[in-house]
Amino acid sequence: MDLFRPPLPSLLAVLLCLPAPASRAQTSAEASSTLASAPSASRSTQLQGDARILHALNRFTFGPRPGDLEAVRAEGLDNWFNEQLHPQRLDESALDTRLAQLPALQWSVPDLLYRYPSDAVLRMTINGKARIPADPIERAIYENQIYRIRIRQQGGIQGAPGSPQPDATDLNTQVAPAIDPQSIRTILSLPPDQRVTRLASIREPAYDALLKSLKPPQRAALVADMTPEQRETVEALAGPEQVVVQELLAGRLLCDVYSNAQLLEVMTDFWLNHFNIYLHKNEPMPYYLVSYERDAIRPHALGHFEDLLEAVAHTPAMLMYLDNAESVGPHSLAAERFKDNAWRRPNGKHQDPPGINENYGRELMELHTVSVDGGYTQADVIAAAKVLTGWTVDHPQFGGGFLFTPNRHEPGSKKVMGQKIKQSGEREGEALLHMLATRPATAQMLSRELAVRFVSDNPPQSLVDRMAKTYLSTNGDISAVMETLFHSPEFWANSNDGVKVKTPLEYIVSAVRASNADVTNYAPLVNQVRVMGMPLFGCVQPNGYAWTSDAWVNTGDLIDRMNFALMLASNQFPGINVDWSNPTTTNPGAFAQAVPTPAQEEARLEWLLLPQGASATTRAAVLQRFQAFQRQTTPDAAQVRPVAEAESLQWVSPQIVRAREDALLAGLLMGSPDFQRR
Amino acid sequence: MPLTRRFFLHHGALAIAGTAAIPSFLVRSVLAEATAAVPGRRLVVIFQRGAADGLNVVVPYRERNYYAMRPTIAIPQNQVLDLDGFFGLHPALASFKPLYDQGHLAIVHAAGSPSMNRSHFDAQDYMEAGTPDVKSTRDGWLNRALQAQDACCREHHTDFRALALGPEVPLTLTGRIPSIAITNVNSFAVAGRGPTLSPAAQAFETMYAETGDQLLRAAGDETFNAVKMLRNADPAHYQPANGASYPNSEFGNSMRQIAQLLKANLGVEAAFTDVLGWDTHQAQGGVQGQLANRLRDFSESIAAFWRDLGDSAENVILVTLSEFGRTARENGTGGTDHGHANAIFVLGGQVKGGKVYGRWPGLSNDQLNQGRDLALTTDYRQVLAEIVTRTMGARNLDLVFPGAELSPSRFLGLV
Repeated sequence: MDLFRPPLPSLLAVLLCLPAPASRAQTSAEASSTLASAPSASRSTQLQGDARILHALNRFTFGPRPGDLEAVRAEGLDNWFNEQLHPQRLDESALDTRLAQLPALQWSVPDLLYRYPSDAVLRMTINGKARIPADPIERAIYENQIYRIRIRQQGGIQGAPGSPQPDATDLNTQVAPAIDPQSIRTILSLPPDQRVTRLASIREPAYDALLKSLKPPQRAALVADMTPEQRETVEALAGPEQVVVQELLAGRLLCDVYSNAQLLEVMTDFWLNHFNIYLHKNEPMPYYLVSYERDAIRPHALGHFEDLLEAVAHTPAMLMYLDNAESVGPHSLAAERFKDNAWRRPNGKHQDPPGINENYGRELMELHTVSVDGGYTQADVIAAAKVLTGWTVDHPQFGGGFLFTPNRHEPGSKKVMGQKIKQSGEREGEALLHMLATRPATAQMLSRELAVRFVSDNPPQSLVDRMAKTYLSTNGDISAVMETLFHSPEFWANSNDGVKVKTPLEYIVSAVRASNADVTNYAPLVNQVRVMGMPLFGCVQPNGYAWTSDAWVNTGDLIDRMNFALMLASNQFPGINVDWSNPTTTNPGAFAQAVPTPAQEEARLEWLLLPQGASATTRAAVLQRFQAFQRQTTPDAAQVRPVAEAESLQWVSPQIVRAREDALLAGLLMGSPDFQRR
Repeated sequence: MPLTRRFFLHHGALAIAGTAAIPSFLVRSVLAEATAAVPGRRLVVIFQRGAADGLNVVVPYRERNYYAMRPTIAIPQNQVLDLDGFFGLHPALASFKPLYDQGHLAIVHAAGSPSMNRSHFDAQDYMEAGTPDVKSTRDGWLNRALQAQDACCREHHTDFRALALGPEVPLTLTGRIPSIAITNVNSFAVAGRGPTLSPAAQAFETMYAETGDQLLRAAGDETFNAVKMLRNADPAHYQPANGASYPNSEFGNSMRQIAQLLKANLGVEAAFTDVLGWDTHQAQGGVQGQLANRLRDFSESIAAFWRDLGDSAENVILVTLSEFGRTARENGTGGTDHGHANAIFVLGGQVKGGKVYGRWPGLSNDQLNQGRDLALTTDYRQVLAEIVTRTMGARNLDLVFPGAELSPSRFLGLV
């Protein structure tokens, strides 16, 4: 009997149990021909039923997980969306458990910089301007990194791109004592707390040499039973700033994948891009970005835009990124004093008087609010920059907060975009931000940007206008604007179904979510997002990444996506685990016992990964490949083989064969054209 | 296949260059004849994103006001690499000096986009579109230059005709002519780099070839064609030649890979890459420092590229662009803000180099644009028009730069 092919009646029964995947590609292709004969033409222009739920899941989340469709169906779409707009009541205990693995993300910026010092802090300790902590473990973190800085400095030009860099690791291994296997075994056998103490007693260059001499399983064992804090310490001993950078980037992906408040995460990502900041602008930036995302962006992501704009304008991160922290009014007390002092020190080193920096003033209008066509001139840019003089950062090297310095503030009243701003120090900036946040041009700009993110690359002006109207009538309530979008016929138009191409971040996160992957190591995902051209916090220019498809559909990107899909599906990323046989990823009730046919197995995985249904062409290509793969790997009972050949086949357990088949199927589905859109 | 003259012109130049047995003077004379008849040169465009500080790159070291306006960041007279008694290169551009002296490198100063827009993003878009102050342009000047070439000379082209080194196709190359973006030649394969397309890759190829999704079908088609071509050409096999040593930087890697792709005879006609980090609002430094480090990487990468190509560099023209210049005066934070005119580098075997082109507008306070920037005397489109006419044989300059009213009679005589 053919084990792989259940009798026809049972196959039919199984197929009938499946939720019929409404093949999107076919529907849209046939839409024009079926429209005329459809019983209700008006109904057919709008998405209905499950297609409606899946559309909402594709747009307001980072992609549906298995089970999401059923959950929203049970709860009701409107209720679900309302809950997403007000996510405070959502149960996030699972997310919190995962976030506990990244303790650094909970700390204040000064604490972070103290615990895991930046190179700037360490150079100050070298120059005697800052102290090394007394605690032996903290001390070890400092001293190890100071050693590395010294090695780099010996090599000459520091950080000069293009100049040959001294290979610090080579120097290390040259002088490092050999690590004998016995002492490694001893360290690994210690209980976690003693192991941390022991590791902290091994100073550079020996520490690096020790880590390098560990075999991968030993390296895993080194931290496996540690608390997150202990593990962080071990990593900080090898590079304190890297701990902060890695947790910052991992934290973003972790929330994107696992948060139940998906709309909040989508909006956080949206505003982080709108108010783009580059991670490597200066040394304290990674530390400040931890707070930027946590304290300025996420709390206001679904609140009032003016609050968000105010919060961002007060962040050290933005003030440094767009150089406002350096800007000094040309007639301010600080500038006048500078000129006076210059007279008094005729032999002193010549310094130019500090002056104004226009960068933030310009981008605040061009990119954050009214947009480039918002009706401002170069004179307005300069006036805005003068309004914001004195908005700076208190001791940025130690992680200080926002500081208004009256001494640097340009005196006199200013006029920006026709509006007079009376001399009032710090409050001038507040008046400017209020004026910009309430401008109709800002309402248009933000509504369009949201519509491009959520609806289509060229959203209808009618929709943008309606959203802008809501914005203006609700004092810029972002939730209200999103509600208007949700209740607009343009959003639910059939023609907008699946028209958005996923950005690299959206693509990667949606694949991880669809495959229900358990991620314990985010580094491969961080790296893949970068390879596809969208590094997190990695956009140098303040305009952020594009939301439109033309930026993300090209040859190189497509290759990276197909390769990512195959690797994710076949568990090739360390610390990321997918299990295609996992009952939670299985359509409940179907194929509990039977060995499925290729078509059944494809249908099961398609239901998981592309619940809206794959196009017929994708399904055919996947199945064809899959059957060829099966012929190669499984001895077909129905086929008579020469004895010699059958014997030469290595015996592989059916479970492993099935896992390989599933990995290939899933990889092909996630790399398919269908999965590139949302 | 008979080796026709056309084939020779189109494919032969680089092949000859690889044949060490042929004396290079002979190669040159063959090429000279070839380019006179059918321009078959390759154009490499480098975009310095962020607005490079042209006044500290090609320093007008005889200008008194230059030193008055830049008290902490000016390059001292005795440190510039003198070019002509008036201009001098920033000392970090030392590897450009021999190229200039040999007559391969030309400079056009006080050049750039006439747009007064000081936003990086708008100005870059305008410059890349080739239509300053016109927002509605959807394609790039280089793509239209290839279209103009098609209009006058029908040739066989490959999928690598228009190539961007980087994660995405820039606006400069966007348009009707298909272009391709490559981040890394070594990872440009689907499901492994075997000698044949892997089964998974075959499945993907079928899916993308048959999808009703037009955008992705076109991208898939290009992708698999390119993957196959690249696998056959194996550019990784071309290692830097003639002792060329590229800086180990992102830009150095891009230039090394462009050289590999050119040498692999894939049919690259126009290549683009960009180099970031020029937005020096604060602490840009003088002889040493931030800008000096950028310039060192920039010039050493380009010089290594030139050396690496050897004799085939005869056939290449490289041009650098930046969206605008920077303020003539340094700002309060040891940097410079968004300005206007800038310096353009043009490098090539057929370039009439060793000269700083363009009319110098002066730097006294009353000569500055809006009282703050180097004034513009040469529209960058004038420079590019000459290059695309001479390299690609593009005749219809109205197509390439609509509304610019460019005429060959006003070309600078660079090429």
